[in-house]
Amino acid sequence: MNKDISCVKLIQEKLDLLRANTNNTVNSLLDTLALQLARKVDAKIANGETIGILEGIPFGIKDVYMLQGTYTTASSNLLKNYKSAYTATAIQKLLDAGAIPIVKENCDSFGHGSSSENTIFGAVKNASNPDLVGGGSSGGSAVNVAKDYTVFSIGGDTGGSVRQPAGYNHVYGLKPTYGRISRYGLMAYASSTDCVGPIAKSVEDIRMVLNVMSGKDVKDQTTYTSTEIKEESISNSKGIKTIGYFKNFIENDAIDPKVKADFLTAIEKIKAKGFEIKALDFFKSDILVSTYYTLAMAETASNLSRLDGSNYGNRIEDKNLKESYAITRSENFSEETKRRIVGGNQVLSQGFSDEIYLKGLALRDAISENFENDFNEVDIILSPVTPSAPPKIGDSLKDPHAMYLSDVYTVGFSLGQLPTLTVPQGTDTGLQITAAKNNDELVLKFANFLKDTI
Amino acid sequence: MSKIMTVDVLSSIKGAQPSEAVNKLFDVIKNAQPTNNNSFNNNRNNYVSLNDLRDDVVIESSALEKQIIIENFPKEKNGYLVVSKIIEE
Repeated sequence: MNKDISCVKLIQEKLDLLRANTNNTVNSLLDTLALQLARKVDAKIANGETIGILEGIPFGIKDVYMLQGTYTTASSNLLKNYKSAYTATAIQKLLDAGAIPIVKENCDSFGHGSSSENTIFGAVKNASNPDLVGGGSSGGSAVNVAKDYTVFSIGGDTGGSVRQPAGYNHVYGLKPTYGRISRYGLMAYASSTDCVGPIAKSVEDIRMVLNVMSGKDVKDQTTYTSTEIKEESISNSKGIKTIGYFKNFIENDAIDPKVKADFLTAIEKIKAKGFEIKALDFFKSDILVSTYYTLAMAETASNLSRLDGSNYGNRIEDKNLKESYAITRSENFSEETKRRIVGGNQVLSQGFSDEIYLKGLALRDAISENFENDFNEVDIILSPVTPSAPPKIGDSLKDPHAMYLSDVYTVGFSLGQLPTLTVPQGTDTGLQITAAKNNDELVLKFANFLKDTI
Repeated sequence: MSKIMTVDVLSSIKGAQPSEAVNKLFDVIKNAQPTNNNSFNNNRNNYVSLNDLRDDVVIESSALEKQIIIENFPKEKNGYLVVSKIIEE
């Protein structure tokens, strides 16, 4: 840590940048809390006390995480005045390591979107070109990191919501193996794929933040015990021999020719370094997207059924309880959120569940099995993050089906619960590095290798 | 009970209708041929071992947590938290 600048000064600088920013990344600034924590850090350093691994580092939090006493709106009308009563496990671990939360970040409402336009706080603007979307759903988080308003930010990734905005804004974004980091205190979207994910400007920052947040938590019983990833263990590509990629991701009409050409060039460069390259078969794009959205909508319909304005939220009174629920939800959910809840209830209802939902589950199993077989053949799977460059602000809202299809490269790895990292290299929206379940270390290792290769 | 519930009732969203964008996704699933038709021989291993269940104990919330929960409640009158009128059908 640079001792030439006090922690209070550093935090104040970042708060000023966030306050003045025109990219719509901020839902609320945590200025009072952040400055109070910064003063404690300065006092600790002055007294020569031991400091935490992330002591004084300013970070951002997607506005779907609980941090006691702060507004947690999910960028929605329903929760625009909701205050967290408790703190998410992942966020608490960062606080315990000394990191300082400075901002709750704009995102698609309840994570429902791939552009961060589905929000009551205004569309998030891309860090490189403000006419383009910031990506989503963790758009505010990725833009804040890209602009150096935060050193790292914590996004949430259900179907690509950390990896895609990271790609759109040229930073690193990790979706760890499902269960590596506790989801306690993360507002549930689709519980079987929801992951806490760090966004940062270097592999090393991702590694440090991942280590701090990882671990078993009794409050999320899908978590597992993982071992710390050491800096030296990811410093070279030893042990990685074979790289795979999915043929049908590249050989289709939907991919932008430049993304395709850049991806194939990256593959050639890796091959030239002596790695074996294998082209793999995979499920068709429309099957991947449809399976993901079918299951995610079913889960979100269930998860969001608790939001009725009864105990919290922007309740609108009507003649009785049932009518109050209905009017509260109708008036306070966005069109995209309503579309997903209705879709979810469609697939879960009698007559549809066998034909769609159960079939979706069977497809998911087949996708997972496919991955297991692939990782018997290859160590790493490399893929583009998105088929094309970020769309202009406004375009995604006009065509939701096209927006769903744009998630084609990210959703499969969510269904497989695999660790996947976006690196800001290779194509205009980056590359995804995926390894077998629980092998997050290998992903970071290969990212370090790519950094010096392409 | 054989009452048919429409999606607007199931979703508690007034006037809700299935959307074309979402129906297109479902059509793909309907027409798909999963190679593995048994959805329960899966490798999703997110179950919890009986030996690993968390303790069945009541954990007292902190005073601050309780205060925030009350603050979040939408309506209060004369010191009471007010819910909407409940009717039985």
